[in-house]
Amino acid sequence: SYRISSDGKPEKFQPPPKPIIIDKQKQKEERRFLSPEFVPPRGRTDPLKFYIERKDMIQRRKAFNIPEFYVGHILAVTTANPYASEKASRFVGICIQRGGKGLGATFVLRNVIEDQGVEIRYELYNPRIQAIEVLKLEKRLDDNLMYLRDALPEYSTFDVNMKPVPHLDHEEIPVNKLQVRMKPKPWSKRWERPKYNIKGIKFELPEKKMKEAQKWSQPWLEFDMLREYDTSKIEEKIWKEVSEELKK
Amino acid sequence: MMPMWTKSGKRHAVTLLKVQDCHVLRYVSKEESGEKRPLLVVGGKNASPFSKSESAMEIFKEAGVPRKQKITTFRVTEDALIKPGTPLYAAHFRPGQFVDVTAKTIGKGFQGVMKRWGFKGQPASHGQTKTHRRPGAISTNKAGKVYRGKKMPGKMGNIYRTSFGLKVWRINTKHDIIYVNGTVPGHTNCLVKVKDSKLPTYKDCNKNPPFPTFFADGDEELPEDLYDEEVFQFTEPSITYA
Repeated sequence: SYRISSDGKPEKFQPPPKPIIIDKQKQKEERRFLSPEFVPPRGRTDPLKFYIERKDMIQRRKAFNIPEFYVGHILAVTTANPYASEKASRFVGICIQRGGKGLGATFVLRNVIEDQGVEIRYELYNPRIQAIEVLKLEKRLDDNLMYLRDALPEYSTFDVNMKPVPHLDHEEIPVNKLQVRMKPKPWSKRWERPKYNIKGIKFELPEKKMKEAQKWSQPWLEFDMLREYDTSKIEEKIWKEVSEELKK
Repeated sequence: MMPMWTKSGKRHAVTLLKVQDCHVLRYVSKEESGEKRPLLVVGGKNASPFSKSESAMEIFKEAGVPRKQKITTFRVTEDALIKPGTPLYAAHFRPGQFVDVTAKTIGKGFQGVMKRWGFKGQPASHGQTKTHRRPGAISTNKAGKVYRGKKMPGKMGNIYRTSFGLKVWRINTKHDIIYVNGTVPGHTNCLVKVKDSKLPTYKDCNKNPPFPTFFADGDEELPEDLYDEEVFQFTEPSITYA
């Protein structure tokens, strides 16, 4: 049957609007994260060695969940400790550095406990680690937050009994554009120099000092072709390999 | 080199050694060589046959094997002789064995006495005139000569050295890789000689090794990875101290 409009003539058939399907799996796949320790460093080592190391790393990841995290996230790590009561020790801190490649990959967590700054370096693939929980996901402006050692202690204190902040899978990881205030100089490293390329400090130094620091800039470094190491193709291959193995 | 954890949670550093196309080349009897035991000449890694003379290639032709980059001799007992031409695999060694590894150390070139022999040199200031890294005195007055073998500057490295008593933690039979405890002399991807350990503490360590060697066409079917008892395998759950 067909509808009769107000004019009395039969209306042209309007098909119903197509339903919009939000495929949640596809949205999840859009964000690919390959842990930086999978990318092999530049060198003359046989690629077979990296392949075998990767197999071991994937085996460990299947048995134990290592979450995706960046520098600036707040993590809680429980390790097996024969000398602790309850045989397990828990440490909460902000990840300030991720180093190492392959099975020896490490990350450093920093926290201030009872006015004493504590940094602990954990190995990602150490079998003594029993759990890694991401309490708060937030990226910072830099890849290396070592300057928190010279910043005011309030920027490194985190509650040990902090509740995990919920985060949806498909959302992007928020970037905290916090500019940290520093203790008076001397610092452990001259963070104002362009070599460290730090954007997350609020430098309260006089203009003269900032200009003097620019003397140590090396503007030719970004054009140095021998330092180029393009990892995009390598990362693609490794990402495919790793994701296929982990799905099994 | 890779880290490796034991079941008690201890971390060890491990070197990976690949057994690349090893074949037995020749058998030299006791009388021929003049030693107390017969010799077996073994060759490693394949290489191109065009850069060697015909006389050097004779050994490889007799064994029926492509030209090898490195040739070494092993002194073997009479009951462990192998026919020339048989390939040797990593499964010749088993986890739990102890092994000596010989290789040429990294060449450092002409080096001074402080780096080569570890001399202390002289202070940097307090009036030293042009003398900061020199050997100082080389002999006494009474001797009136310099003894042979006096430690002096010279070419350092690029000589054969052995690390003794290294434990074999793991063997990968598919890719022929031996995981050996600790460090090994030589640069990455250099050619290395692996022997059973000669140290007296490890004399009785080999429990039923494949004798005379592991034959690939034999009946034994080995799993892809052979682990020592104490090695933590990544398929197990995390370690707990109950």
